[in-house]
Amino acid sequence: MSTVGWITARGLFGRRRFLILLPLPLLLVGLAVLCRSLNVAPSDWGPAVLVGLGLAVVLPVVALVVGTGVLGAEIEDGTVVHILTKPLPRWQIVLPKLAVATAVSAATVAVPLFVAGLLADSVRLGLALAAASALGALAYSALFLALSLLTRRPVLLGLVYVLIWEGLLGRFADGTRVLSIQQWVIALADRMAPTDLLGTTVSVPVAAILTGLVAVGFTVLAIDRLRSFSVAGETS
Amino acid sequence: MSELTGVIHDIGYQRYTGPRLGRRHVFGALYLHGVRTAFGLGRSAKAKIFPWLVVAIVLVVAAGLTAVRAQFGEVVMTYAQFADAMSWLVIFFVAVAAPELVSRDLRSGVLPLYFSRPLPRGDYALAKLGALATALWLLLGAPQLVMFLGAAFTTGDGMSGVWHELLDLLPGLLYAALWAVVFASIGLLIASLTGKRAFAAGGIVAIFLMTTPVVGVLSIMPSPTINELAFLASPSTLVGAVGTWALGDLLVPEGQGGGMPIGDFGPVYAAAVVLLVAGCVTLLLLRYRKVAAR
Repeated sequence: MSTVGWITARGLFGRRRFLILLPLPLLLVGLAVLCRSLNVAPSDWGPAVLVGLGLAVVLPVVALVVGTGVLGAEIEDGTVVHILTKPLPRWQIVLPKLAVATAVSAATVAVPLFVAGLLADSVRLGLALAAASALGALAYSALFLALSLLTRRPVLLGLVYVLIWEGLLGRFADGTRVLSIQQWVIALADRMAPTDLLGTTVSVPVAAILTGLVAVGFTVLAIDRLRSFSVAGETS
Repeated sequence: MSELTGVIHDIGYQRYTGPRLGRRHVFGALYLHGVRTAFGLGRSAKAKIFPWLVVAIVLVVAAGLTAVRAQFGEVVMTYAQFADAMSWLVIFFVAVAAPELVSRDLRSGVLPLYFSRPLPRGDYALAKLGALATALWLLLGAPQLVMFLGAAFTTGDGMSGVWHELLDLLPGLLYAALWAVVFASIGLLIASLTGKRAFAAGGIVAIFLMTTPVVGVLSIMPSPTINELAFLASPSTLVGAVGTWALGDLLVPEGQGGGMPIGDFGPVYAAAVVLLVAGCVTLLLLRYRKVAAR
């Protein structure tokens, strides 16, 4: 692991505020255990916990906080110039940061989702959910990392995407689901472990291709943006 | 050593001898500034993007509903249902406005300046809370007013039609006020814990969103009592349940299957809302009893 990666990981874990990420996965596991122990049918609680909480809330919110934090925090307090002035190619800055962001969000989300999937159906569903959410974490992290370079308010813009595009429009206008990372994750997980618990209108090949495109495209965009990056003060 | 020849020139500095405005004016100024901050008024264009995006969406939805009602005579949403349907936008607005109101002051370290004035600690927090609640109420109330005006001008029953419509609007506005108070107190408390606006926004959204699926799970538990108490778990359903209990048919007309199945637990929900708001305000006041200089 490169030095940039170490610095990023220490910057994430070294602060107390990282602790606010913990309640989300704990709640996910807690609800799954509660439902299982009370013998509620998985077809009743599965969609609410796995999709409603896990894939629609925990995954995007964790990826948003981590993904905008790995580079955004340094840009905000101005210490990014210390990295930018080192004789490093830009991709050697972006890629380690993306790797750390993906690994942290994937670990935070995939483990509880695996447990929840295991309790809901089978080991296979658990593994499928874990793998699909790790892919989703990659796509979300690339998107939010690029956002933190494109705008001064990456968290709010990311919330617009998560709340208004995926949340509000995804419910009322089906067409927007094709361009929703959340739906791709559902499609991929459903393909790896077909059950009645997950369902989406997006086809699997489309989901797989678009996930790859978003991950690669936004990474390239981030590297390109970092090439001519101007450090400015805080927005008013 | 030469003779000292320095003089002190009187360049006209004067003591302030005019009237000194009291605590009420300080509170009022802070409150008004807070309401303007929530909408980005008096700030750069960048600060206006997100608040006005939300305002634009709710107004467009309200205009669309009004147009449908005027053209086809079909009431898609009542005033109260409008507030419920916009809940995600309200959450987003809180995530935008609450960090602007309190996190910026924490981050830039200006709180010692505020508190070196004759401004009690509580007043600062309460003025900010009032400002956020007012902003939220305006956000929900303005579209309802648009819907009311549309309905009033297209009503076929003359003045009595307008009067009926007004009787529908008033409970809707009251309900919007309940939304505003609950969401403002929770959101401001979370935002006051961190000086980073980005983190405050993420925290607010996480708290509001993670509670909604809990309601979904609790309402399918094998126990009717738990099912009827499930709506306690999330602020937005809590507000809806209190509205169902307190305003009932005034919010959702009979035959629309509206309201929440809360059984006989209405007073429990009302007490829960009061406790929640009181608890959040108390914690907020405690939070500002001592602030770090930087």
